[in-house]
Amino acid sequence: MAPKPTPNGNAAQATEATPSNIPAVVGINFGNAYASIAVYTKEGLAECIANENGERQIACAIAFHGEEIYVGNQAMPQLVKNAHNTITGFRNLLGKKFSEIDQSKAASSAPLIQHPTEADTPAYKVEILQPAPSPLPTSATNTPAASHAPTPRSEPVPATRILTPQEATTLFLTSLLQSASDFLGKPILGAVITAPPSFTQTQKEALRKAAEDAGVRVLQLLDEASAVLATTTSPQWPHGGEDRTQLVVDVGASSLSLSVIALRSGLGYILGSKTSTTVANIGGDALSSLLVKHFAKEFTKKTKTPLPQPPSSKEDIRATTKLLLALEYTKRTLSASPAPASLSVESLHSGLDFTATIARMRFDLLATPVYTAISSEIKSLLESIALDPHDIDEITYVGGTTCLPGLDSHLLTSVGFTEEVQTAFSNSTTGSGAIGDPTGVLSIGCALQAALLLRVHEESPELVKAFEQSEEVKTTARTIGIIFPGGADSQGLGGTYIPAIHKHTPLPARRIHEVEVTLSGGEGDKATKFGFELWEVEEGIKVEKAAVLKSESPDDEDDEDDEPEEIKTKTTTKRSFLGAVLGETKGTAVKDKTKKGAYTATLQIEVTLGSDGVLVVEARDSKGEKVGELRVV
Amino acid sequence: MAISALPADYTPPASTSKLTPAVAQPAGKLIAVGPAFLAHIQLTKLHQGDFKKYDDATAEARAAATPVGNGVEDDLGVGEESEDEALLSLDPKEWKKQDQYRVLGLSHLRWKATPAQIKIAHRKKVLRHHPDKKASDKAETGVASALGLNINTNDDAFFKCIQKAHEVLTNAERRRQFDSVDPQFLEEIDDVPTEKDFKKNPPPFLPTFAPIFKREARFSKTQPVPELAVPTSGDSPSSDPNDVQGHEFAHLKAHVGAFYDFWYNFDSWRSFEWLDKEVNEGSDSRDDKRYTEKKNKSERARRKKEDIARVRGIVDLCLSVDPRVKHIKQHEKELREAKKAGGAAKNGPTPAAAEKSKKDAEAEKAKKEEEEKAAKADAKKAKAAAATAAKKARRAQRAVEDETPA
Repeated sequence: MAPKPTPNGNAAQATEATPSNIPAVVGINFGNAYASIAVYTKEGLAECIANENGERQIACAIAFHGEEIYVGNQAMPQLVKNAHNTITGFRNLLGKKFSEIDQSKAASSAPLIQHPTEADTPAYKVEILQPAPSPLPTSATNTPAASHAPTPRSEPVPATRILTPQEATTLFLTSLLQSASDFLGKPILGAVITAPPSFTQTQKEALRKAAEDAGVRVLQLLDEASAVLATTTSPQWPHGGEDRTQLVVDVGASSLSLSVIALRSGLGYILGSKTSTTVANIGGDALSSLLVKHFAKEFTKKTKTPLPQPPSSKEDIRATTKLLLALEYTKRTLSASPAPASLSVESLHSGLDFTATIARMRFDLLATPVYTAISSEIKSLLESIALDPHDIDEITYVGGTTCLPGLDSHLLTSVGFTEEVQTAFSNSTTGSGAIGDPTGVLSIGCALQAALLLRVHEESPELVKAFEQSEEVKTTARTIGIIFPGGADSQGLGGTYIPAIHKHTPLPARRIHEVEVTLSGGEGDKATKFGFELWEVEEGIKVEKAAVLKSESPDDEDDEDDEPEEIKTKTTTKRSFLGAVLGETKGTAVKDKTKKGAYTATLQIEVTLGSDGVLVVEARDSKGEKVGELRVV
Repeated sequence: MAISALPADYTPPASTSKLTPAVAQPAGKLIAVGPAFLAHIQLTKLHQGDFKKYDDATAEARAAATPVGNGVEDDLGVGEESEDEALLSLDPKEWKKQDQYRVLGLSHLRWKATPAQIKIAHRKKVLRHHPDKKASDKAETGVASALGLNINTNDDAFFKCIQKAHEVLTNAERRRQFDSVDPQFLEEIDDVPTEKDFKKNPPPFLPTFAPIFKREARFSKTQPVPELAVPTSGDSPSSDPNDVQGHEFAHLKAHVGAFYDFWYNFDSWRSFEWLDKEVNEGSDSRDDKRYTEKKNKSERARRKKEDIARVRGIVDLCLSVDPRVKHIKQHEKELREAKKAGGAAKNGPTPAAAEKSKKDAEAEKAKKEEEEKAAKADAKKAKAAAATAAKKARRAQRAVEDETPA
């Protein structure tokens, strides 16, 4: 038997996009401590890429050592021996005046000084070796040209270099862009860079200028929440297109920013946000310092050599820096695998080596103050916008610290999210360069946005402005739902309920629902009638207190913890009746023998809510003909 | 989602109320990110929030973006060919014997298939017969297998045949080798009319010979090949060679002359490597190899010689029954006679007559050649006859000798 002939020219089109179709754009997540870059790979997907040193998380550090300049993770070890020539944490100083900068925190990096020539400008002073003058030009005939000058000095000359934070940023971004264009094999056409929401307009301008000095067209500066949104609404993201409420937990090195975003068919807006930088025990640095304390104590116990925290002497500072650098890897190991992670530092203090291991359990115990601080911030944010943790459908983690499984489980239990909440851990997308990885979310979002903007610039330049400053929108106050009377009733609404337009949906909005309805009535044996109601419903959360099961062992009786467990369930209650749609359509007989004589039809119900507040409901049959209509003003 | 029917006694609630007014969010602004936001601002800024206008505009943009055509890829006329049981059960080990064009579904194009068409045909076949596809087919054909018809017994055998055919047809040299012994061509050359057919009941000249020459023309190293039919010149649309009056005499003569000139000097690329015997695989013997190679070489030469003789035979036959040649001869004879008569009267040939006489000489020469050839053939025949006669005589003698002692 020959296979059934396929229609002419049914060959599937090659899915692989030709390299020329791949937008040459880069998304840069520019944090204060770490940065990452994302580009479009050959598969046509945005992906967080590693730089030429194989690092996806690129430390924001620049070190000057003699004639050499180290950028990125290579600059970090310089903090140990060459701290006064190493610049870190320069992003937050962008666009700031010298007088605005809080100098109280002693930095372990290059000293920040008042710029010698420009007024009220911060600057770093580093000692470098200037390369010796270039050798004499040689003539074409390969004989030395006649000398016009005395013999040059071959030794490099010691000099000092003054760098403003902006110049440091340009230097750093240049190296990132170089990595990206090396990966793509062609020059970068545009970039989108993250800027924290705390940045002022002047700071943003300074960042934009620094990037443009690095030789790239800045398409947009995105705040972190927006960059997250760009990633989470993309089709690459698991459940990317669904309507949901999302909590973004961005744990930086020294800051925590939280946002609650309502996602409605790809459109998102912030229901509430909070950025905390001053609260104690927030961020990766706090976590590191807790760990340093722990290991310093352990070191003292093991070797009887004191390593006081906070460090006082120069040697102590150096030891602490060494420990901090080694801890970076310990933290990553703990995030990646459940096995105990080791930490080993050669010649930590007074020539003594130090090796220790730490299990996840112990680590989480140590980190509890940080975890608790984060969960209490989340609680207070949710309270301030009157949302129940059960309203959150998805938690998106951002940053290396959030890769720790301990943080996730702590937040889930202490804040009280539902068990169905989507996280990077429930989707198991952590620890890879893939889209769901907390460390790459921001840069991937930037790359996606950059590609979109590049297209908008080409196709409809009149819309570019709208991306710069979006206008306020109206949103629906209540969910509008469709109820099919007589249908399967799960929530006591008198019929099958389908949410048509969710609460908090920006206007104008349109949703199309396709349903298969069983028809009734009609002439003869052919049923033709269908009908449904439109209601405004209110969604709430019912809290039931369930008694805790009595523990069987008598030892536990000491625990006077008989607080009843709360069981939360989502409820939907009808508020106001908007109207009903009754119509007739031609159905098809059901093939199932148990339901003989039944007729069904597939209906497309289009619900449109204009910005003028007019609700139009249209029901169409499978051929696209209108079979029912309702207008609510 | 299946929804149960409306209750029979259903009446919608009487009172309706208004929508709760939409609220402006305190946080307020949409996040200016993502394709959905682009769609939103297109809707609100360019189309004033009218979904219908927006739909029309996006449909228009999409239509502009997609190239003209109904989305069906142009297959360059490769089309679909039915695959029968015999084809699908081909043995890939016997790939030399398979019809490579049939396997790729190109039997309607054969040697005319362009490389692009071969590529498309191959892709089509692979899409259908790839072993990966067969796995999913198995599930579908569960009924067939239940009936004991296991259609996938030879699994990827046909796929291997396809790959072999593709390999042959994409290599110019190997394709020429296969085209030389194309099974369809071999079939066609079997039913070439013989002299006998023309003696009894001669078939029409042009419809008989035109396709034969067209068929042979593919092997010519020089292209294009002159056609048998006299090309119609100007306003005398006649393609019937019998209608010799329709053409100017000189034109007709030149064409016919050129045609036979070409075919008697036919330079063919047809070769017979395809039919070579394989050197025994696994045998390291150099002598064995050399022996086979030598045999192959002589076999090739023999076949080539046969082929040349075959073409020559066709041309000979054609020339002998060509009504146009007859007409030309007749006409020239008439001219000659007229010249003789005229010469007696006029004492000296006219320039036109001189030309004609030249042509006559040529024709005569051709005729002589023909005769010579015929004579040669006759001589050959006579020789053969003599040989057989001698043989017979010997045999008879031997028989006599055998009989006498008994």
